[in-house]
Amino acid sequence: MPSLFVFRGNNQGMRFELEGEAVSLGREAGNDIQLHDTEVSRRHAELRRAAKTFTLTDLGSSNGTYVNGKRIESHSLANGDEVQMGGSMMLYTCLGDESAGDLADKIDIIARHQPGDRSRIVRSMSQAEGSRILDDDSGGATSPWLARARSNLQVMYRTALAVSHTLDIDQLLSRIMQLIFEWVEADRGCIMLIDADTGKLEPKVRRNRKGVKSEDRITISKTILDYVMEHNEGVLTSNAGEDERWNPAASILQLGICEAICAPMQGRYHMVGVIYIDTSISPQRVIQQQEAAKFTEEHLKLMIAIAHQAALAVEDTRYYSAMVQAERLAAVGQTIATLSHHIKNILQGIRGGSFLIKEGLSQHDEGMVGKGWEFVEKNQERISNLVMDMLTFSKEREPEMAPADMNAVAADVVELMTSRAKEKRVELRFAPANGLPTLTFDAEGLHRAILNVVTNAIDACQAAASDDEGAGADSPPRPGAVEVRVEYDAAAAVVKIIVSDNGPGIPPEEIDQIFSLFVSHKGSRGTGLGLPVSQKIVQEHSGRIAVASRLGEGSRFTLEIPAVPPESVSPNAKSDGKTLV
Amino acid sequence: MLPGCSVLVVDPLEETREVLRTALGRRGVRILAASEADQGLALARLHHPDLIVLDLECEGANAGASGKIAAQSLADETQLLVLGNARRVAPELPAGQFVPKPYHYAPLIRKIEELLEKARQPASRAG
Repeated sequence: MPSLFVFRGNNQGMRFELEGEAVSLGREAGNDIQLHDTEVSRRHAELRRAAKTFTLTDLGSSNGTYVNGKRIESHSLANGDEVQMGGSMMLYTCLGDESAGDLADKIDIIARHQPGDRSRIVRSMSQAEGSRILDDDSGGATSPWLARARSNLQVMYRTALAVSHTLDIDQLLSRIMQLIFEWVEADRGCIMLIDADTGKLEPKVRRNRKGVKSEDRITISKTILDYVMEHNEGVLTSNAGEDERWNPAASILQLGICEAICAPMQGRYHMVGVIYIDTSISPQRVIQQQEAAKFTEEHLKLMIAIAHQAALAVEDTRYYSAMVQAERLAAVGQTIATLSHHIKNILQGIRGGSFLIKEGLSQHDEGMVGKGWEFVEKNQERISNLVMDMLTFSKEREPEMAPADMNAVAADVVELMTSRAKEKRVELRFAPANGLPTLTFDAEGLHRAILNVVTNAIDACQAAASDDEGAGADSPPRPGAVEVRVEYDAAAAVVKIIVSDNGPGIPPEEIDQIFSLFVSHKGSRGTGLGLPVSQKIVQEHSGRIAVASRLGEGSRFTLEIPAVPPESVSPNAKSDGKTLV
Repeated sequence: MLPGCSVLVVDPLEETREVLRTALGRRGVRILAASEADQGLALARLHHPDLIVLDLECEGANAGASGKIAAQSLADETQLLVLGNARRVAPELPAGQFVPKPYHYAPLIRKIEELLEKARQPASRAG
């Protein structure tokens, strides 16, 4: 589905999917997409569906609508277009219609010895060999032009490689600078990027050739920079006058010649900065070589090409980091929102409990005190569970593998949950495995993993039974039943804990999300932590957790853990503990 | 005492339902309670209570059901007290009928009593 992703501005990190025929954008709440941006007009622009994409039309906004840096009245959007309104920048994405399924129909992969397949491998070439396509010795350069062209291509090829796998802008720029220095005899160089906020050029990387004093300040003429920025053209400058070039004048013989190349870093839509290199040629050398220029037009051309490549990479890197940043912010925001929500509900419960205790005490009503105390305890337990689940996700926790009895762990969970099941009128059964040996696993972790699954099972049954104050539920109450079964398969060396319930089952559209963090379908009771925690613990044991569910019949969760006999686990660790010194 | 009054509590939190049931019950108020909006809507249509206390998190499986409760209360001219911060469910409700969460129970109960008093006044004037 076409979408707008906000990568700069107050809505940063939000993705708006574009549905329907028309989508309005603006600052007012009534818009389909509301941008919290004071520079955006109340009703700023409109997107209207046109064939496979959307047409963006400005609705006479005060500050205008821009696509790829150009102000527009109306514009048909293409995938990757950058839309700007006020201080909000958005990326338009619109994927093609060819879905993977269709492609699979059009491409067949056939087995090797099929009669229809007559092709054979004629020559094979390694990746490394392929990248030497531009090496000098590949076929004896005949003309100097060809040699130069090949060398230029090689520079571009290496630039492309250099910019293709880095996500840190500073690192990227210093690599580009290094490449330039390997290829041209520059003395000093620097890359400056345009600061997004101030619009001014900020130096990012500078480099000196070996032997050139590093404390030398690079002085760049503002006239040149302005020219490059304004005209979006690269320039080659020399302080040697045109007429003096082949006829060294006295002044040049004294001072040498300074040459510089300054190339614009033109990205897809904007100029992101400039690359500058310069060199000075000593008077001795001017005399010796009768040559007054190190930098040529060829160098300039190539610099412009490199600068363009670098600019594209800078843009990509910026998009990428803006997205990563936005996603991180969104994730942190979601985490905080979810946790505060749960804590708020727990707090509400505790307040309810303490209110009843206080009232009960003042009225000498022991029943009320008892009820209040029950609420306080229940919410204490909820906080404890929330904290334990959160700790499971923290990095510090390491599973503690030790010999233990899986039957006992499962039985513990069942015992712990019996009163809760009874309270909710759910029958809780337990079937231990026969002949189950002592195995090595993290007993505390698996206790939690099983507990979370059993809690869900009981809650599911409760949801199925008409539980509350008889609000005229139309389905007849069904006795809920949960079974916890431990199975041991010695041949396959796995132990399974199977938790089945006769609840309403999980709708197919929800089943893919049940292990997603913070996704809960239990309303205010669910933290969205339970199953992800179970899954994480099971995966720490190299096991897996599977779910089978039928609507109206119930669900079955199977926690499958490899059976690891105690002696096979790190005998060192064991002896270490008991080493006699 | 507020005998003869009835309050419908639609709240997924058992504690809130229980506290209101206990505290208001002692003042002679009849309490109807539901944990989900669907259930609550059925109760509202059946019993036409004097006041509905509606928690915005009671949606359950049926999104929009709390809006229907709000609509029902408007149709019945039933007072509505919304627990939660958003005004999205019933933006037409007058201010002061929203109690942001988390809240304390004593002020909440006082507020419910005030609203019930108000609900009774026009009736007593008429009679």
